[in-house]
Amino acid sequence: MEILKVENLRKVYGSGEARVEALKGVSFSMRKGEFGAVVGVSGSGKSTLLNCIGGLDKADSGKVFLNGKDIFAMGENQRTIFRRQNIGFIFQSFHLIPELNVEQNIIFPLLLDYRRPDRERVEEMLEVLGLENRRKHLPGQLSGGQQQRVAIGRALITRPALVLADEPTGNLDSQSSQDVMDLLCKASGHYQQTVLMITHNMNLTLAASRVFRVTDGVLEELGGAQQ
Amino acid sequence: MKHYLDLVSISAKHHKKQNRMTRLCIVLAVFLVTVIFSMADMEMRSQMVQAIKSDGAWHAVFALDEEQGALLAARPEVKKAVRYGALNYHLDEGYQIDGIETGICGFDRELLEILPAAEILEGTFPENAGETLINEQAKNRLGLGIGDSVTLMTPQGDTIQYRITGISKETALTARYDACVLYLNAEEFQALYEGDGGEAKEMVTYVTFRSFCNIPRTIQEISTQFELKPEEVGQNAKVLMLMFQSRDPYMMGFYFVAAVLAVLVMVAGILMITSSMNSNIARRTEFFGMMRCLGATGRQVIRFVRAEALSWCKSAIPAGVLAGMAVTWILCGMLRVLSPRLFDGMPVFGVSYPGLAAGIIMGFITVLLAARMPARRAAKVSPLTAVSGNAGTVQAVKRAANTRFFKVDTSLGMHHATGSKKNFFLVTGSFAFSIILFLSFSTAIDFMYHAITPLRPGAPDFYVYSENSSNSIPMELAEQISRHSHVKRAFGRSYAVFTLPLEEQEMELTVISYEEQQFRWAQDDLLEGSFRDAVEGKGLLLAFRESNRISVGDSVVISNGGGSHEVPVVGTLGSVPFSYSTNKDVGDGEGIAICSEDLFQELFGEAGYAVIDIQFQSGVTDEEVQELRRMIEQNCGDGIAFSDRRIGNREVKGASYSMAVFLYGFLAVIALIAFFNIVNCIAMSVSARMREYGAMRAVGMTVRQLIRMVWGETMTYTFFGVVFGCLVGLPLNRLLFQTLVTSRWGDAWELPGRELLIILSVMLCSACLAVRRPARQIREMTVVDTIGTD
Repeated sequence: MEILKVENLRKVYGSGEARVEALKGVSFSMRKGEFGAVVGVSGSGKSTLLNCIGGLDKADSGKVFLNGKDIFAMGENQRTIFRRQNIGFIFQSFHLIPELNVEQNIIFPLLLDYRRPDRERVEEMLEVLGLENRRKHLPGQLSGGQQQRVAIGRALITRPALVLADEPTGNLDSQSSQDVMDLLCKASGHYQQTVLMITHNMNLTLAASRVFRVTDGVLEELGGAQQ
Repeated sequence: MKHYLDLVSISAKHHKKQNRMTRLCIVLAVFLVTVIFSMADMEMRSQMVQAIKSDGAWHAVFALDEEQGALLAARPEVKKAVRYGALNYHLDEGYQIDGIETGICGFDRELLEILPAAEILEGTFPENAGETLINEQAKNRLGLGIGDSVTLMTPQGDTIQYRITGISKETALTARYDACVLYLNAEEFQALYEGDGGEAKEMVTYVTFRSFCNIPRTIQEISTQFELKPEEVGQNAKVLMLMFQSRDPYMMGFYFVAAVLAVLVMVAGILMITSSMNSNIARRTEFFGMMRCLGATGRQVIRFVRAEALSWCKSAIPAGVLAGMAVTWILCGMLRVLSPRLFDGMPVFGVSYPGLAAGIIMGFITVLLAARMPARRAAKVSPLTAVSGNAGTVQAVKRAANTRFFKVDTSLGMHHATGSKKNFFLVTGSFAFSIILFLSFSTAIDFMYHAITPLRPGAPDFYVYSENSSNSIPMELAEQISRHSHVKRAFGRSYAVFTLPLEEQEMELTVISYEEQQFRWAQDDLLEGSFRDAVEGKGLLLAFRESNRISVGDSVVISNGGGSHEVPVVGTLGSVPFSYSTNKDVGDGEGIAICSEDLFQELFGEAGYAVIDIQFQSGVTDEEVQELRRMIEQNCGDGIAFSDRRIGNREVKGASYSMAVFLYGFLAVIALIAFFNIVNCIAMSVSARMREYGAMRAVGMTVRQLIRMVWGETMTYTFFGVVFGCLVGLPLNRLLFQTLVTSRWGDAWELPGRELLIILSVMLCSACLAVRRPARQIREMTVVDTIGTD
């Protein structure tokens, strides 16, 4: 089942001599439960692609369909709500809310919907993340790896169709990186969520079912890696 | 770049916007302190100008004989000691010129320097024997001029001839009593009263002391030295108060209030600067972490923060000081426009050195002190922080937000306000201080209304009254006077006193007639009853007295000659402000009642006025007033007297204008500062959290939810600011009110509802407006740029 469809995505920054074509007509699609890895050198346009797919940034032309819905056809407010319900974001710099503890950070997208979180699901998530004993800790009291696990929990709690991860292991040691990758694989394999991850680390692409490379705004698929 | 501190200026170029807010805070704090201190200084100067104009520049007066006077003048603290004496002060001792009772004053020439009111308009001071100055009244009434001779008849029947050497300006007192006065030199005066059997102590010695002299102590020493009784020593209380030289218990209370207000203003400034510096440094934790990462020592970071703070001072302190001076100039200009004749002594572009010094010192010291704490914190930032994703946006958080009672956006907003105790204290403290300052300064308004009675709309500039208290002035005269081109309005009153035969005891009742205009002014004073009935002549309006034994609804029987009339009391008035003559205010009698002119005629059968009040158009000249006076004299003949209140009115107006302009100016500045402070604090707080807001937007928070979060934060600060402000401000208001007003006039303190309403409205409106700009900033924020993803 096709979850994500990207059609001829173009994005240009600047003008005149400073004009940079960050995306040059990128098209691809992903099915439910697929784990995609995007590689490319710095400035190649990977993050721009991820931001456009997630609706954080708007493409100059082209379309992004998630579950058949054109996210650029939505208004700003509608797109935000759609994003928090259907897309999970994981950033290199975690971007946790420092005033919220582990549990509150994880359920934050649900709270934004003014929904009462399902206790069982929260407990399950904390268990999966290995953070049961840290639930009342603030982000400042956690290690980098633990913070990124919280960020993953936050991305997964709404059971989004698509999880977008921008260098999720960039700030982590090897053990924490492995933990994060295990969790992302679990999301993709166990919970059948589509995952698209940017990485510089070619070793991490081994966990992905599909690998893409972005070079000067052009996306090419390198083929499937070993699951 | 030659030194690591050069980074300060480079960094400033890249953080213009954030630094602008901190600078603005410093500007506001310096402005507040400068403007309040400058205005206080200018107000004191203005009051001093007023006090010297009306009371003179002397500091103390002693009743001394000649020998004692010489000893006093020899004291090192004494700058000037001049003799002054007066005869026939109440115009009833029999010193007359052409049958007119004449006051006689004698003084040393130097008195003119310390008593500007006694200015010589033309001619010279009477230096020699047989010479005199006369006042304008004497010149006009007696038709005299310089070089003429005047013959004074003493009560003993002697005649003394003087040659007139000059004309002196009218003072408020001589104008009020319509008095002719001769001014002699001290020796001539001494010879006159000694010849009449007067005692040596008829003359007093006015003294001005040198600068830096402890005047109260010196007065005490002089009193002891010459064994003077308390009634033989006087002080120019207003001038001494304005020189901070009064030891009067009430004045000490006044100084205490001034000191409390000065400290409050300083603390408000310190809080504003500290909170903004705190916020600015906290926002850049990551930057300082990066500096530490690159090898900067903690001491170097402290130096960096301090250098940065001083660089803000370079532009912010002069801007604050200039803005403060500009506002002071505007207020001084307003005073001169309001009353050019009274405030010609006030400099429009005068510089208040105490104001400048207060602004600059408070600015520099506070910035340096305020930079210490954040600088230390910045120095303690771990180099690791620079590479952690959650730093750089907010201060260290010690407890999680409570999301149980409010929606998550509101809860987070509230937590942003209360998360850091220090920040919460500083921001709510600065909010609270606006209320505290407003409530404290508002007591000065109450003081003003008690101390300086503003001129009533009906206050006459000039009035005519019958000397024997009869209603002998023709009613048509008021009409005739009001037709005069320089007269704004003229209105008369008839008076009658009769005795009411009440059950327990007889009661004396003064009945006064009002015409339409006086009724209109009295309308606001109606406490109960029907005003219309009184205007239509259906009954009397009784002036309120605690001791009144008749009330609304009662009837009084007025017997006049053969007939008697029963008249109902139709209402009660709070006060009856009109005077009857120069010495006697209405209200000396037991009871007062007001009625219409028609009813008065019906009751007493008299159709004439006892008093006609005249209000002039602005710019009326003394010649025009004299012309009118001659016209009245021709119409009424003998038996009438005049009282010129113009000088006194101008003095009252001047003092109340000046105080009102400065006090309301203080309040306006405080309200303005409250507004800017709230707007700036919220803008800074939002600006400091933009990255966090970007991350929230990225994970699905809508713009509306973010704005609600800012609302939550703003309202939390405002709510607690208001609570703290009221908790401290109201008791302080009470204390200051009791010190300033209750201790002197006995009025009980009441909750300052109107003042509270005003400042709370300002706070609430400011809070609402404060969210507008951050809301726009949030709407325009691009998530990708804000969170700075790769």
